[in-house]
Amino acid sequence: MYFFLLYIDPGSGSYLLQMIIAAVLGASFFFKNFWFSFKAFFASKKPKKEDENDTVD
Amino acid sequence: MSSIKQSDFNMQSHPASYRDTSGFVFQQGGKVYRYIHPVYEIHYSRLMESGLYDELVKKGKLISHSEITERDKFSFADGRVLLPEQIPFISYPYEWSFDMWKDAALLTLQIAMASLQKDMILKDATPFNIQFFKGKPIFIDTLSFENYEQGKPWVAYRQFSECFLAPLLLMHYCHPDTGKLFTAYPNGIPMDVLVNLLPKRSRWNMNTFLHIHLQAKFAGKQKQRPGKENNFSKQKFEILLKGLESFVQKLSSKKIKTTWDDYYTDTILGDDYLASKTALVKSFISEIEFSNVIDLGANDGHFSLLFAGDKQVIATDSDPNCINNFYLKNKQDGSSNILPLVNDLTTPSPAIGWNNTERGSITERLKADLVLALALVHHLAIANNVPFPFIAEWLQPIGQYLIIEFVPKSDEKVKLLLQNRKDIFNDYNLEHFKTVFAANYQIVKEATVGHTNRVLFLMKRNS
Repeated sequence: MYFFLLYIDPGSGSYLLQMIIAAVLGASFFFKNFWFSFKAFFASKKPKKEDENDTVD
Repeated sequence: MSSIKQSDFNMQSHPASYRDTSGFVFQQGGKVYRYIHPVYEIHYSRLMESGLYDELVKKGKLISHSEITERDKFSFADGRVLLPEQIPFISYPYEWSFDMWKDAALLTLQIAMASLQKDMILKDATPFNIQFFKGKPIFIDTLSFENYEQGKPWVAYRQFSECFLAPLLLMHYCHPDTGKLFTAYPNGIPMDVLVNLLPKRSRWNMNTFLHIHLQAKFAGKQKQRPGKENNFSKQKFEILLKGLESFVQKLSSKKIKTTWDDYYTDTILGDDYLASKTALVKSFISEIEFSNVIDLGANDGHFSLLFAGDKQVIATDSDPNCINNFYLKNKQDGSSNILPLVNDLTTPSPAIGWNNTERGSITERLKADLVLALALVHHLAIANNVPFPFIAEWLQPIGQYLIIEFVPKSDEKVKLLLQNRKDIFNDYNLEHFKTVFAANYQIVKEATVGHTNRVLFLMKRNS
Protein backbone atom coordinates (compact mmCIF):
# COMPACT_ATOMS: atom_id res chain seq x y z
CA MET A 1 0.00 0.00 0.00
CA TYR A 2 1.24 3.48 -0.86
CA PHE A 3 1.12 6.35 1.56
CA PHE A 4 -0.98 8.53 -0.74
CA LEU A 5 -3.51 5.82 -1.50
CA LEU A 6 -6.24 7.22 0.69
CA TYR A 7 -5.76 10.93 0.34
CA ILE A 8 -9.54 11.21 0.49
CA ASP A 9 -11.61 9.68 3.26
CA PRO A 10 -13.61 6.79 1.80
CA GLY A 11 -16.16 7.33 4.57
CA SER A 12 -16.86 4.99 7.45
CA GLY A 13 -19.20 2.22 6.42
CA SER A 14 -18.78 3.08 2.74
CA TYR A 15 -17.07 -0.23 1.91
CA LEU A 16 -19.69 -2.32 3.68
CA LEU A 17 -22.42 -0.33 1.95
CA GLN A 18 -20.85 -0.97 -1.44
CA MET A 19 -20.96 -4.72 -0.72
CA ILE A 20 -24.67 -4.46 0.06
CA ILE A 21 -25.44 -2.27 -2.96
CA ALA A 22 -23.49 -4.50 -5.34
CA ALA A 23 -25.40 -7.52 -3.98
CA VAL A 24 -28.80 -5.81 -4.32
CA LEU A 25 -28.04 -4.41 -7.79
CA GLY A 26 -26.48 -7.71 -8.86
CA ALA A 27 -29.67 -9.54 -7.91
CA SER A 28 -31.79 -6.86 -9.59
CA PHE A 29 -29.72 -7.09 -12.82
CA PHE A 30 -30.03 -10.87 -12.69
CA PHE A 31 -33.83 -10.76 -12.42
CA LYS A 32 -34.05 -8.03 -15.06
CA ASN A 33 -32.00 -10.13 -17.48
CA PHE A 34 -34.08 -13.15 -16.61
CA TRP A 35 -37.27 -11.18 -17.24
CA PHE A 36 -35.99 -9.77 -20.56
CA SER A 37 -34.95 -13.18 -21.81
CA PHE A 38 -38.28 -14.57 -20.62
CA LYS A 39 -40.11 -11.87 -22.58
CA ALA A 40 -37.78 -12.22 -25.54
CA PHE A 41 -38.44 -15.96 -25.62
CA PHE A 42 -42.16 -15.43 -26.11
CA ALA A 43 -41.79 -12.29 -28.22
CA SER A 44 -39.54 -14.11 -30.66
CA LYS A 45 -42.16 -16.85 -31.14
CA LYS A 46 -44.76 -14.53 -32.65
CA PRO A 47 -42.85 -12.97 -35.56
CA LYS A 48 -41.63 -16.44 -36.49
CA LYS A 49 -45.21 -17.58 -36.86
CA GLU A 50 -45.98 -14.56 -39.04
CA ASP A 51 -42.94 -15.34 -41.16
CA GLU A 52 -44.14 -18.88 -41.59
CA ASN A 53 -47.57 -17.63 -42.58
CA ASP A 54 -45.98 -15.25 -45.07
CA THR A 55 -44.10 -18.02 -46.75
CA VAL A 56 -47.17 -20.23 -46.85
CA ASP A 57 -49.30 -17.49 -48.38
CA MET B 1 10.79 6.67 -1.02
CA SER B 2 11.23 10.39 -1.43
CA SER B 3 8.42 12.76 -0.61
CA ILE B 4 7.44 16.16 -1.91
CA LYS B 5 9.12 19.00 -0.10
CA GLN B 6 6.83 21.53 1.50
CA SER B 7 8.68 24.22 -0.45
CA ASP B 8 7.55 22.64 -3.73
CA PHE B 9 3.97 23.46 -2.81
CA ASN B 10 4.63 26.83 -1.27
CA MET B 11 6.42 28.29 -4.20
CA GLN B 12 4.72 26.85 -7.21
CA SER B 13 1.47 25.00 -6.89
CA HIS B 14 -1.97 26.27 -7.80
CA PRO B 15 -3.85 27.17 -4.57
CA ALA B 16 -6.36 24.34 -5.15
CA SER B 17 -3.69 21.72 -5.89
CA TYR B 18 -2.60 20.56 -2.44
CA ARG B 19 -4.80 17.60 -1.50
CA ASP B 20 -3.21 14.84 -3.54
CA THR B 21 0.47 14.31 -2.81
CA SER B 22 1.03 12.49 -6.12
CA GLY B 23 1.83 15.82 -7.72
CA PHE B 24 0.43 19.27 -8.31
CA VAL B 25 -0.59 21.84 -10.88
CA PHE B 26 1.42 25.00 -11.34
CA GLN B 27 1.52 27.95 -13.69
CA GLN B 28 4.58 29.29 -15.41
CA GLY B 29 4.80 31.79 -18.25
CA GLY B 30 1.01 31.90 -18.57
CA LYS B 31 0.76 28.13 -19.05
CA VAL B 32 -0.62 25.45 -16.75
CA TYR B 33 1.67 22.48 -16.06
CA ARG B 34 1.32 19.35 -13.97
CA TYR B 35 4.17 18.01 -11.85
CA ILE B 36 4.17 14.25 -11.16
CA HIS B 37 6.01 13.05 -8.10
CA PRO B 38 8.07 9.81 -8.41
CA VAL B 39 5.70 8.08 -5.94
CA TYR B 40 2.99 8.22 -8.59
CA GLU B 41 5.24 6.75 -11.28
CA ILE B 42 3.85 3.16 -11.10
CA HIS B 43 0.33 4.45 -11.65
CA TYR B 44 1.30 6.94 -14.33
CA SER B 45 3.22 4.33 -16.27
CA ARG B 46 0.25 1.96 -16.26
CA LEU B 47 -2.06 4.76 -17.41
CA MET B 48 0.25 5.46 -20.34
CA GLU B 49 1.33 1.91 -21.19
CA SER B 50 -1.97 0.04 -20.76
CA GLY B 51 -3.56 2.00 -23.60
CA LEU B 52 -6.03 3.64 -21.19
CA TYR B 53 -4.64 7.14 -21.78
CA ASP B 54 -4.77 6.71 -25.59
CA GLU B 55 -8.28 5.28 -25.48
CA LEU B 56 -9.67 8.07 -23.28
CA VAL B 57 -7.89 10.87 -25.16
CA LYS B 58 -9.04 9.48 -28.51
CA LYS B 59 -12.63 9.54 -27.28
CA GLY B 60 -12.22 13.12 -26.04
CA LYS B 61 -12.83 12.05 -22.43
CA LEU B 62 -9.40 12.87 -20.96
CA ILE B 63 -7.24 15.93 -21.53
CA SER B 64 -4.17 15.17 -23.65
CA HIS B 65 -0.69 16.20 -22.54
CA SER B 66 2.88 16.25 -23.68
CA GLU B 67 5.81 15.58 -21.41
CA ILE B 68 8.41 18.30 -20.95
CA THR B 69 11.82 16.82 -21.49
CA GLU B 70 13.92 19.99 -21.13
CA ARG B 71 14.39 19.63 -17.38
CA ASP B 72 16.44 22.79 -16.97
CA LYS B 73 13.24 24.82 -17.43
CA PHE B 74 12.02 23.72 -14.02
CA SER B 75 13.55 23.39 -10.58
CA PHE B 76 12.37 19.83 -9.87
CA ALA B 77 15.17 17.34 -9.24
CA ASP B 78 13.06 14.30 -10.11
CA GLY B 79 9.57 13.37 -11.24
CA ARG B 80 7.90 14.41 -14.47
CA VAL B 81 6.43 17.63 -15.79
CA LEU B 82 3.44 17.49 -18.12
CA LEU B 83 2.04 20.22 -20.31
CA PRO B 84 -1.69 19.48 -20.71
CA GLU B 85 -3.77 20.88 -23.54
CA GLN B 86 -4.68 24.34 -22.28
CA ILE B 87 -8.30 25.09 -21.43
CA PRO B 88 -9.21 28.73 -22.15
CA PHE B 89 -11.89 29.19 -19.49
CA ILE B 90 -12.15 27.42 -16.15
CA SER B 91 -15.73 27.00 -14.96
CA TYR B 92 -16.81 25.56 -11.64
CA PRO B 93 -19.59 23.03 -10.98
CA TYR B 94 -21.80 25.53 -9.15
CA GLU B 95 -21.97 27.40 -12.47
CA TRP B 96 -23.29 24.37 -14.37
CA SER B 97 -26.89 23.54 -15.16
CA PHE B 98 -28.52 20.17 -14.52
CA ASP B 99 -27.50 18.42 -17.73
CA MET B 100 -23.95 19.73 -17.47
CA TRP B 101 -23.74 18.11 -14.01
CA LYS B 102 -25.32 14.97 -15.37
CA ASP B 103 -22.88 14.72 -18.30
CA ALA B 104 -19.97 15.36 -15.92
CA ALA B 105 -21.19 12.58 -13.59
CA LEU B 106 -21.65 10.16 -16.49
CA LEU B 107 -18.19 10.99 -17.83
CA THR B 108 -16.69 10.24 -14.40
CA LEU B 109 -18.44 6.85 -14.31
CA GLN B 110 -17.50 6.01 -17.91
CA ILE B 111 -13.86 6.78 -17.13
CA ALA B 112 -14.05 4.68 -13.95
CA MET B 113 -15.44 1.76 -15.98
CA ALA B 114 -12.86 2.12 -18.77
CA SER B 115 -10.14 2.27 -16.09
CA LEU B 116 -11.34 -0.92 -14.43
CA GLN B 117 -11.04 -2.73 -17.77
CA LYS B 118 -7.33 -1.84 -17.66
CA ASP B 119 -6.95 -2.72 -13.99
CA MET B 120 -7.02 0.87 -12.81
CA ILE B 121 -9.49 2.87 -10.71
CA LEU B 122 -10.40 6.51 -10.25
CA LYS B 123 -9.09 7.33 -6.80
CA ASP B 124 -11.23 10.44 -6.54
CA ALA B 125 -14.52 11.61 -8.04
CA THR B 126 -15.01 15.35 -7.75
CA PRO B 127 -16.60 17.60 -10.38
CA PHE B 128 -13.57 19.91 -10.06
CA ASN B 129 -11.73 17.25 -12.10
CA ILE B 130 -13.96 18.10 -15.05
CA GLN B 131 -14.05 21.08 -17.33
CA PHE B 132 -16.29 21.95 -20.26
CA PHE B 133 -14.13 22.22 -23.33
CA LYS B 134 -15.28 22.49 -26.96
CA GLY B 135 -18.89 21.95 -25.89
CA LYS B 136 -18.27 18.74 -23.94
CA PRO B 137 -17.11 17.71 -20.48
CA ILE B 138 -13.51 16.53 -20.29
CA PHE B 139 -11.58 14.96 -17.42
CA ILE B 140 -8.56 17.07 -16.57
CA ASP B 141 -6.91 15.31 -13.62
CA THR B 142 -4.26 12.98 -15.06
CA LEU B 143 -3.28 11.97 -11.51
CA SER B 144 -6.68 10.53 -10.59
CA PHE B 145 -5.82 7.09 -11.96
CA GLU B 146 -4.48 4.43 -9.67
CA ASN B 147 -3.70 0.73 -9.99
CA TYR B 148 -6.62 -1.51 -9.07
CA GLU B 149 -6.15 -3.62 -5.97
CA GLN B 150 -8.01 -6.92 -6.13
CA GLY B 151 -10.92 -7.11 -3.70
CA LYS B 152 -11.01 -3.45 -2.75
CA PRO B 153 -14.23 -1.41 -3.08
CA TRP B 154 -14.28 2.05 -4.69
CA VAL B 155 -12.41 4.47 -2.48
CA ALA B 156 -14.18 7.42 -4.14
CA TYR B 157 -17.72 6.07 -3.79
CA ARG B 158 -18.69 8.36 -0.94
CA GLN B 159 -17.07 11.32 -2.70
CA PHE B 160 -19.00 10.53 -5.89
CA SER B 161 -22.23 10.33 -3.89
CA GLU B 162 -21.71 13.65 -2.12
CA CYS B 163 -20.20 15.49 -5.08
CA PHE B 164 -22.36 14.25 -7.96
CA LEU B 165 -25.41 12.35 -6.73
CA ALA B 166 -26.24 14.91 -4.04
CA PRO B 167 -26.47 17.99 -6.33
CA LEU B 168 -28.19 15.98 -9.07
CA LEU B 169 -30.81 14.66 -6.66
CA LEU B 170 -31.46 18.12 -5.22
CA MET B 171 -32.03 19.44 -8.75
CA HIS B 172 -34.16 16.39 -9.51
CA TYR B 173 -36.35 16.44 -6.39
CA CYS B 174 -36.25 20.05 -5.16
CA HIS B 175 -35.37 22.82 -7.65
CA PRO B 176 -33.15 23.19 -10.74
CA ASP B 177 -31.33 26.11 -9.08
CA THR B 178 -30.01 24.07 -6.13
CA GLY B 179 -26.77 23.23 -7.97
CA LYS B 180 -25.39 26.46 -6.56
CA LEU B 181 -25.55 24.98 -3.02
CA PHE B 182 -22.25 23.42 -4.06
CA THR B 183 -20.67 26.84 -3.45
CA ALA B 184 -21.38 26.26 0.22
CA TYR B 185 -20.26 22.61 0.11
CA PRO B 186 -17.53 22.38 -2.55
CA ASN B 187 -16.19 19.14 -1.04
CA GLY B 188 -19.57 17.49 -1.43
CA ILE B 189 -22.98 18.01 0.15
CA PRO B 190 -22.84 15.99 3.38
CA MET B 191 -25.24 13.02 3.51
CA ASP B 192 -26.99 14.20 6.66
CA VAL B 193 -27.66 17.62 5.10
CA LEU B 194 -28.86 15.99 1.89
CA VAL B 195 -31.32 13.54 3.46
CA ASN B 196 -32.91 16.39 5.39
CA LEU B 197 -33.36 18.43 2.21
CA LEU B 198 -34.73 15.63 0.03
CA PRO B 199 -38.48 14.94 0.19
CA LYS B 200 -39.54 11.83 2.14
CA ARG B 201 -40.87 10.18 -1.01
CA SER B 202 -37.30 9.98 -2.35
CA ARG B 203 -36.87 6.91 -0.09
CA TRP B 204 -39.22 4.98 -2.32
CA ASN B 205 -36.79 5.14 -5.22
CA MET B 206 -34.55 2.09 -4.84
CA ASN B 207 -31.39 3.86 -6.02
CA THR B 208 -31.93 6.96 -3.89
CA PHE B 209 -32.63 4.73 -0.93
CA LEU B 210 -29.51 2.61 -1.42
CA HIS B 211 -27.02 5.29 -2.39
CA ILE B 212 -28.27 8.14 -0.22
CA HIS B 213 -30.61 7.23 2.63
CA LEU B 214 -28.83 4.00 3.49
CA GLN B 215 -25.44 5.67 3.14
CA ALA B 216 -26.55 8.46 5.49
CA LYS B 217 -27.56 5.78 8.02
CA PHE B 218 -24.18 4.07 7.69
CA ALA B 219 -22.15 7.27 7.92
CA GLY B 220 -20.31 7.59 11.19
CA LYS B 221 -21.84 4.43 12.67
CA GLN B 222 -20.07 1.49 11.12
CA LYS B 223 -16.42 1.01 11.80
CA GLN B 224 -14.43 -0.53 8.98
CA ARG B 225 -13.11 -3.93 9.94
CA PRO B 226 -9.62 -4.35 8.51
CA GLY B 227 -9.39 -7.01 5.81
CA LYS B 228 -13.15 -7.13 5.26
CA GLU B 229 -12.99 -4.93 2.19
CA ASN B 230 -10.93 -7.49 0.30
CA ASN B 231 -14.01 -9.49 -0.74
CA PHE B 232 -15.27 -6.93 -3.21
CA SER B 233 -14.81 -8.66 -6.56
CA LYS B 234 -14.15 -6.82 -9.80
CA GLN B 235 -17.54 -7.97 -11.00
CA LYS B 236 -19.19 -6.30 -7.99
CA PHE B 237 -17.19 -3.14 -8.71
CA GLU B 238 -18.54 -3.17 -12.28
CA ILE B 239 -22.09 -3.74 -11.03
CA LEU B 240 -21.74 -0.76 -8.68
CA LEU B 241 -20.49 1.51 -11.48
CA LYS B 242 -23.11 0.29 -13.96
CA GLY B 243 -25.81 0.73 -11.32
CA LEU B 244 -24.67 4.30 -10.68
CA GLU B 245 -24.59 4.99 -14.41
CA SER B 246 -28.14 3.79 -14.99
CA PHE B 247 -29.30 5.72 -11.91
CA VAL B 248 -27.75 8.99 -13.13
CA GLN B 249 -28.95 8.34 -16.68
CA LYS B 250 -32.58 8.27 -15.49
CA LEU B 251 -32.40 11.53 -13.52
CA SER B 252 -33.98 14.67 -14.91
CA SER B 253 -34.22 18.22 -13.66
CA LYS B 254 -37.36 19.09 -11.73
CA LYS B 255 -39.79 20.90 -14.02
CA ILE B 256 -40.36 24.31 -12.51
CA LYS B 257 -41.22 27.28 -14.68
CA THR B 258 -38.70 30.01 -13.97
CA THR B 259 -38.85 33.78 -14.56
CA TRP B 260 -37.08 33.78 -17.89
CA ASP B 261 -38.55 30.71 -19.54
CA ASP B 262 -40.11 31.78 -22.84
CA TYR B 263 -38.88 35.37 -22.47
CA TYR B 264 -38.72 35.94 -26.20
CA THR B 265 -41.78 33.87 -27.16
CA ASP B 266 -44.09 35.47 -24.56
CA THR B 267 -42.66 38.93 -24.79
CA ILE B 268 -44.86 41.90 -25.56
CA LEU B 269 -41.94 43.26 -27.54
CA GLY B 270 -42.58 40.94 -30.48
CA ASP B 271 -40.72 39.76 -33.54
CA ASP B 272 -39.98 43.22 -34.92
CA TYR B 273 -38.00 44.12 -31.82
CA LEU B 274 -35.96 40.93 -31.91
CA ALA B 275 -35.29 41.18 -35.66
CA SER B 276 -34.20 44.84 -35.40
CA LYS B 277 -31.98 44.15 -32.41
CA THR B 278 -30.39 41.15 -34.14
CA ALA B 279 -29.68 43.25 -37.24
CA LEU B 280 -28.13 46.00 -35.11
CA VAL B 281 -25.92 43.60 -33.13
CA LYS B 282 -24.78 42.01 -36.41
CA SER B 283 -23.87 45.39 -37.88
CA PHE B 284 -22.00 46.41 -34.69
CA ILE B 285 -19.93 43.22 -34.55
CA SER B 286 -19.04 43.50 -38.23
CA GLU B 287 -17.16 46.69 -37.42
CA ILE B 288 -14.86 45.43 -34.69
CA GLU B 289 -12.14 42.81 -34.30
CA PHE B 290 -12.47 40.30 -31.51
CA SER B 291 -11.99 36.61 -30.82
CA ASN B 292 -13.99 35.98 -27.67
CA VAL B 293 -17.30 37.14 -26.27
CA ILE B 294 -19.12 37.20 -22.95
CA ASP B 295 -22.90 37.35 -23.24
CA LEU B 296 -24.27 38.55 -19.89
CA GLY B 297 -27.94 37.70 -19.32
CA ALA B 298 -27.91 35.43 -22.37
CA ASN B 299 -31.41 34.00 -21.83
CA ASP B 300 -32.04 31.37 -24.54
CA GLY B 301 -28.72 32.20 -26.22
CA HIS B 302 -30.26 33.92 -29.27
CA PHE B 303 -27.45 36.49 -29.45
CA SER B 304 -24.65 34.09 -28.49
CA LEU B 305 -25.62 32.08 -31.57
CA LEU B 306 -24.83 35.04 -33.84
CA PHE B 307 -21.14 34.33 -33.35
CA ALA B 308 -19.50 31.91 -35.72
CA GLY B 309 -17.54 28.88 -34.59
CA ASP B 310 -14.19 30.66 -34.56
CA LYS B 311 -15.37 33.01 -31.77
CA GLN B 312 -15.35 31.65 -28.24
CA VAL B 313 -18.51 32.60 -26.37
CA ILE B 314 -19.35 32.38 -22.68
CA ALA B 315 -23.08 32.83 -22.17
CA THR B 316 -24.22 33.45 -18.61
CA ASP B 317 -27.68 33.78 -17.15
CA SER B 318 -29.09 33.50 -13.66
CA ASP B 319 -31.89 31.25 -14.90
CA PRO B 320 -30.89 27.56 -14.66
CA ASN B 321 -33.64 26.46 -17.08
CA CYS B 322 -32.49 28.88 -19.80
CA ILE B 323 -28.88 27.75 -19.43
CA ASN B 324 -29.84 24.08 -19.40
CA ASN B 325 -31.95 24.40 -22.54
CA PHE B 326 -29.14 26.29 -24.23
CA TYR B 327 -26.57 23.65 -23.21
CA LEU B 328 -28.81 20.88 -24.60
CA LYS B 329 -29.42 22.82 -27.82
CA ASN B 330 -25.68 23.33 -28.36
CA LYS B 331 -25.04 19.69 -27.56
CA GLN B 332 -27.64 18.59 -30.10
CA ASP B 333 -26.33 20.99 -32.77
CA GLY B 334 -22.73 20.04 -32.05
CA SER B 335 -21.77 23.69 -31.33
CA SER B 336 -18.40 23.64 -29.65
CA ASN B 337 -17.66 27.36 -29.25
CA ILE B 338 -20.29 28.30 -26.67
CA LEU B 339 -20.04 27.66 -22.93
CA PRO B 340 -23.33 28.40 -21.14
CA LEU B 341 -23.04 29.05 -17.39
CA VAL B 342 -25.47 29.77 -14.59
CA ASN B 343 -24.41 32.98 -12.92
CA ASP B 344 -26.46 35.54 -11.04
CA LEU B 345 -24.78 38.88 -11.71
CA THR B 346 -26.11 40.36 -8.49
CA THR B 347 -24.44 37.61 -6.44
CA PRO B 348 -21.73 36.23 -8.74
CA SER B 349 -19.74 33.07 -7.89
CA PRO B 350 -17.38 34.07 -5.06
CA ALA B 351 -13.78 33.05 -4.41
CA ILE B 352 -13.99 29.94 -2.23
CA GLY B 353 -11.97 27.19 -0.59
CA TRP B 354 -8.92 27.37 1.63
CA ASN B 355 -7.93 30.96 2.30
CA ASN B 356 -10.46 32.01 -0.38
CA THR B 357 -7.87 31.18 -3.02
CA GLU B 358 -8.75 27.69 -4.28
CA ARG B 359 -11.46 28.65 -6.73
CA GLY B 360 -11.41 32.16 -8.14
CA SER B 361 -14.51 34.33 -8.32
CA ILE B 362 -16.26 34.48 -11.67
CA THR B 363 -15.51 38.21 -11.79
CA GLU B 364 -11.78 37.40 -11.86
CA ARG B 365 -12.30 34.78 -14.56
CA LEU B 366 -14.65 36.62 -16.93
CA LYS B 367 -12.46 38.37 -19.48
CA ALA B 368 -13.16 38.79 -23.19
CA ASP B 369 -12.71 41.16 -26.12
CA LEU B 370 -16.43 41.84 -26.42
CA VAL B 371 -19.14 42.01 -23.77
CA LEU B 372 -22.85 41.82 -24.56
CA ALA B 373 -25.22 43.34 -22.01
CA LEU B 374 -28.56 43.21 -23.79
CA ALA B 375 -31.82 43.98 -21.96
CA LEU B 376 -29.83 43.80 -18.75
CA VAL B 377 -29.31 47.30 -17.37
CA HIS B 378 -32.90 47.80 -16.16
CA HIS B 379 -32.73 44.55 -14.18
CA LEU B 380 -29.54 45.63 -12.47
CA ALA B 381 -30.44 49.31 -12.00
CA ILE B 382 -34.14 49.01 -11.15
CA ALA B 383 -34.83 45.45 -9.97
CA ASN B 384 -31.61 45.39 -7.93
CA ASN B 385 -31.01 49.12 -7.26
CA VAL B 386 -27.45 49.03 -8.69
CA PRO B 387 -26.37 52.60 -9.56
CA PHE B 388 -25.18 53.29 -13.16
CA PRO B 389 -21.58 54.09 -12.10
CA PHE B 390 -21.33 50.66 -10.39
CA ILE B 391 -22.45 48.98 -13.62
CA ALA B 392 -19.98 50.92 -15.82
CA GLU B 393 -17.07 50.29 -13.43
CA TRP B 394 -17.92 46.59 -13.21
CA LEU B 395 -18.20 46.13 -16.99
CA GLN B 396 -15.07 48.06 -17.93
CA PRO B 397 -12.44 45.47 -16.85
CA ILE B 398 -14.34 42.58 -18.48
CA GLY B 399 -13.76 43.56 -22.09
CA GLN B 400 -12.55 46.16 -24.54
CA TYR B 401 -15.83 46.42 -26.44
CA LEU B 402 -19.30 46.60 -25.00
CA ILE B 403 -22.66 46.26 -26.72
CA ILE B 404 -25.23 47.49 -24.23
CA GLU B 405 -28.95 48.18 -24.41
CA PHE B 406 -30.65 50.98 -22.53
CA VAL B 407 -34.28 50.32 -21.65
CA PRO B 408 -36.11 53.55 -20.69
CA LYS B 409 -38.78 53.97 -18.00
CA SER B 410 -41.47 54.27 -20.68
CA ASP B 411 -40.78 50.66 -21.68
CA GLU B 412 -43.41 48.06 -20.73
CA LYS B 413 -40.79 45.84 -19.07
CA VAL B 414 -39.56 48.66 -16.85
CA LYS B 415 -43.15 49.59 -15.98
CA LEU B 416 -43.63 45.99 -14.85
CA LEU B 417 -40.56 46.21 -12.63
CA LEU B 418 -41.89 49.40 -11.06
CA GLN B 419 -45.56 48.47 -10.72
CA ASN B 420 -45.34 47.30 -7.11
CA ARG B 421 -42.75 49.67 -5.77
CA LYS B 422 -41.97 53.33 -5.38
CA ASP B 423 -40.01 54.87 -8.23
CA ILE B 424 -36.88 56.03 -6.44
CA PHE B 425 -34.85 56.12 -9.65
CA ASN B 426 -34.81 59.78 -10.55
CA ASP B 427 -31.51 59.42 -12.41
CA TYR B 428 -32.70 56.53 -14.54
CA ASN B 429 -32.74 58.16 -17.98
CA LEU B 430 -30.81 58.02 -21.24
CA GLU B 431 -28.89 61.25 -20.65
CA HIS B 432 -27.60 60.19 -17.26
CA PHE B 433 -26.77 56.70 -18.57
CA LYS B 434 -24.64 58.19 -21.36
CA THR B 435 -22.91 60.65 -19.05
CA VAL B 436 -21.98 57.93 -16.58
CA PHE B 437 -20.73 55.47 -19.21
CA ALA B 438 -18.70 58.22 -20.92
CA ALA B 439 -16.39 58.15 -17.89
CA ASN B 440 -15.33 54.58 -18.76
CA TYR B 441 -16.18 54.24 -22.44
CA GLN B 442 -16.23 56.01 -25.73
CA ILE B 443 -19.58 55.63 -27.50
CA VAL B 444 -18.84 54.32 -31.01
CA LYS B 445 -22.40 53.66 -32.27
CA GLU B 446 -25.88 54.41 -30.99
CA ALA B 447 -29.19 53.28 -32.51
CA THR B 448 -32.85 52.92 -31.54
CA VAL B 449 -34.14 49.35 -31.63
CA GLY B 450 -37.06 48.96 -34.09
CA HIS B 451 -40.23 50.77 -33.03
CA THR B 452 -39.33 50.73 -29.34
CA ASN B 453 -37.69 53.41 -27.22
CA ARG B 454 -34.81 51.10 -26.37
CA VAL B 455 -31.34 52.23 -27.45
CA LEU B 456 -28.43 50.00 -28.40
CA PHE B 457 -24.84 51.17 -27.99
CA LEU B 458 -21.49 49.96 -29.20
CA MET B 459 -18.87 51.28 -26.79
CA LYS B 460 -15.10 51.03 -26.63
CA ARG B 461 -13.27 51.04 -23.31
CA ASN B 462 -11.17 54.13 -22.53
CA SER B 463 -7.55 53.02 -22.46
